[in-house]
Amino acid sequence: MKNPEPPKKATRLLEWFCPPELFESIYGDLYEAFIEDINATNTATARRLFYWNVIRFFRPGIVLRNKFNLKINNLMLNSYFKIATRHLAKRKLYSSINAIGLSIGIAFAILIYLFIQDERKFDQFHQDKELIYNIALKQYNTWEPNPEKPYDFTAYVQYPLRGALKEEVPEAEYVSGLSMGAKHTVRFQDKIFIEDLTYVDQDFFQIFSFPVLQGNKNKLLKDKHDVVLTPSIAEKYFGTTNPLGQTIEIDINGESGDFVVTGVVEKPPAQSSISFDILINIANSSYYEENNTKWRVYSIMVLAKLHENANPERLQYNLDKIVEKYMKDAELKARERYLIPEDKLFKQYIAVPFTDVHLDTELGWPGSNDPMYSMILAGIGILILLIACINYITLALTTSASRRIEVGIRKAIGAKPAQLFQQFSFESVILSMVSFLIAVGLVFLFLPSFNQFTDKEISLHWTQLLEVVAVGFFLAIVIGLLAGSYPAVFLVRYKPTKVLKGGTSYKLKAGFTKPLVIIQYALSIFLIISSVIMFRQMKYITTKDLGFNKDQVVVIPTQAGWNKSSTRLFTQYKNALANETDVISIAGTSTSFGDGWSKYGYEVDGKQKAALVYTVDTDYLNTLGLTLKQGRNFDPDRPSDSSAVIVNETLVADMGWENPLEQYLNWREDSASLGSPVIGVVKDYNNLSLESSIEPLFLSMKTGSITKILVKIRPGNIPGTLQKLERKYKELAPEKPFEYSFLDEDVAKQYASYQRWMSIMSLSTVFAILISCLGLFGLSGINAVNRTKEIGIRKVLGADISNIFILLNRQFVFLAVVSFIIAAPAAWYIMRQWLGNFEFAISINWQLFALSLAVGLLIAILTVSYHAIKSAFINPAETLKTE
Amino acid sequence: MEKDYLGEFEELVLTVVGVLHDDAYGNAIVKEIKDQLDREVNLSAVHVTLYRLEDKGLVKSHMGGASEKRGGRRKRIFTITNAGLSILHDMQARRIKLWKLLPQIKFTS
Repeated sequence: MKNPEPPKKATRLLEWFCPPELFESIYGDLYEAFIEDINATNTATARRLFYWNVIRFFRPGIVLRNKFNLKINNLMLNSYFKIATRHLAKRKLYSSINAIGLSIGIAFAILIYLFIQDERKFDQFHQDKELIYNIALKQYNTWEPNPEKPYDFTAYVQYPLRGALKEEVPEAEYVSGLSMGAKHTVRFQDKIFIEDLTYVDQDFFQIFSFPVLQGNKNKLLKDKHDVVLTPSIAEKYFGTTNPLGQTIEIDINGESGDFVVTGVVEKPPAQSSISFDILINIANSSYYEENNTKWRVYSIMVLAKLHENANPERLQYNLDKIVEKYMKDAELKARERYLIPEDKLFKQYIAVPFTDVHLDTELGWPGSNDPMYSMILAGIGILILLIACINYITLALTTSASRRIEVGIRKAIGAKPAQLFQQFSFESVILSMVSFLIAVGLVFLFLPSFNQFTDKEISLHWTQLLEVVAVGFFLAIVIGLLAGSYPAVFLVRYKPTKVLKGGTSYKLKAGFTKPLVIIQYALSIFLIISSVIMFRQMKYITTKDLGFNKDQVVVIPTQAGWNKSSTRLFTQYKNALANETDVISIAGTSTSFGDGWSKYGYEVDGKQKAALVYTVDTDYLNTLGLTLKQGRNFDPDRPSDSSAVIVNETLVADMGWENPLEQYLNWREDSASLGSPVIGVVKDYNNLSLESSIEPLFLSMKTGSITKILVKIRPGNIPGTLQKLERKYKELAPEKPFEYSFLDEDVAKQYASYQRWMSIMSLSTVFAILISCLGLFGLSGINAVNRTKEIGIRKVLGADISNIFILLNRQFVFLAVVSFIIAAPAAWYIMRQWLGNFEFAISINWQLFALSLAVGLLIAILTVSYHAIKSAFINPAETLKTE
Repeated sequence: MEKDYLGEFEELVLTVVGVLHDDAYGNAIVKEIKDQLDREVNLSAVHVTLYRLEDKGLVKSHMGGASEKRGGRRKRIFTITNAGLSILHDMQARRIKLWKLLPQIKFTS
């Protein structure tokens, strides 16, 4: 009887991993066991057992005895390396295009990886981060009741909540308020600067673990007049002298106070929701005494560190009790007034883990980001990488055709398929390694602009660099293997006899590239259209006539707060500069351009109206070149003008006045008088950014304080004039910093975020065009290779070069048009949304689309022409001789 | 004087190699352990242990005869070396010495 055979696959598996010198005896033993199993049970069971036994031999004790193999591989690797470098050097164009395409993909992926890492690291550095909570507020949305989403969330809560938490909520161990980003004048001897002040409570240092460099952590900010600095601020004011115990002056709400430096704390890293330069006790904040008793003022954030074993249900119960105790009246009123449904809560405090606030856009922490961004970015990263990989494969395929003979000879000499596979994969890995090196370079190159776009401060420390290198290296190997394996499989399939005999027809099949090219190309066209529209719109808003003259106007803040002394300083300054020849005119205003606005609401004949209000002085109109349609300007010699107003045309239309100069604007809703007399009507001008329409507005001399000085200067010696302005300012206010800006810059700054988006868009457009060109280039290459013979025959039959050129380009024009048809409506829709941000926008017209299509087609034709021209010029004798 | 520590399984396999004398190969060892000790061991574990013992110089191997029962493959026959024997002796001696130190427990009724 012939002995039964054990499963062949299992045997091959064993042969593969087992060291050759051990194979015979192991296989013998297994075979013996196999025969015995057959006798004991049946063939099927025995076969199964054989498999199982083979798999159990796959263990380090056996596999790691494969010492021999490595030596052989080393030898082969040398050869592969040599062949690979020769091959790459021979096709410099392909190699470099391929490497660049891939490196762009990898660089993008690395940058996005860095971004996501950075997002994930946010606020993770505090020691007891899982105990730190932001006590936020969930409240019924009374403004726009929405049954789908009845509640709003905000991190901004009341001052007295701090005290209530400390006294009435036993779960909270430490509690601190937090108010960031108030600008104040800080003085030490002759050093005067404007600084960001951060108000906190003493517990702040118990809650967070910002490293304390100098001073006693437990005593920082214990006294109301203590101040804590970061090292850079300490150095700025005190140089190398020890800052501890020094006294600095800080102006708060117009009054200057002395503060003693009791500590130096390291500046928070970029991945922190809390940032500060100077920390002072929250008791110093404006109107603190008053605010600390009010449950109606929502202006600070409150943070708490809980006891380790705090019960979340008890905590919520106690938080609810605070609402019950202090806001009962407000709730009753609100329920009556806004008709809050019975089953809905009015307000509820919630404890949000501090590590979550960065990714929660609703709470409104500064710098918070939607986690959606990370997801979208990750998606884009993967997509770009995928596209780069597939382009890489496509390009590799076009060159592979010319290596058939090499493969044939190798096979004839005795190369095994696995070896050929290794060889091609190896080549691909080498190329991807090169791309990886370029990619790391690109990351360094683009990181600054990437940071600018994303508003981040990602830097490459060596630890992070290591991470990046590790990620990139891993990507490069995986991509190299993946991208190399397809052409390798493709090449290995050639039958040597056929190839070497010559004259076989062959066709490269890469059906997946066509839809891919359409996608890439559609993306590029989409971006081209969007960029063109954005560019037009930005040009429109920066050059549009705003109705006032913004050139050569210097804006100087008085730095004196919102009070009488500010107006006084302005008057003194104006008088001091009266005889200056380089100064054309000086005006004061409460709100300059780009500073926001203040609005008054008033009732007229039972209708709610509102108007923007600007406090100005008599020179406001001529300094800004505003034109009066009717009436006259404020007259310094008429005391009655101090209660008069000048209105804009929109206000006249809003009120429905026939004869505005005979009217009174009763914006104070004064029941005893008619209100302010209207003495003039100014032509409409864009006082706000072009995102908003022109609203009713009035100018008055007495509604508020003048906080900004507008100085119209003569062109020419601008630096000299600025020096004069500073000298005069310093004479009047030696204890305040002199700052200035130019009005046209302030106006432009309103569009900074759009500018940033535009640069992101243009960069993406360049990337997308580059990548889609690579895809097109590859596809046209494959096409040209596949049709070599056809072209030969056509030429023999009399086709000239232009015919062939058209023949080869026709389908790409078709692809481009299809992509355009996909991209254009999407771009139109998205851009319409975007233009919706602006009250003053350009209209999207067909010319823009035609322009984009033309640009897209031109790029496509330029890209594919390389192959078309090359194929068209080949001598048909070359391609046809083999048949 | 012991250079290497022998694990329980290593000692078992080494002993069985000695017991089987000139007929010790993978399957024979598995079978012997099952017959003598009624213990199921895995063939691959035995192989790995044999190679390890060979690395330590406690056994040596040569290729033996082929048989049809093995599909024409030869056996790798392991024999115990002098070092292997001495380590077994040594371990046995120590164990007896230790055993003698164990207080004699009397079984009382």
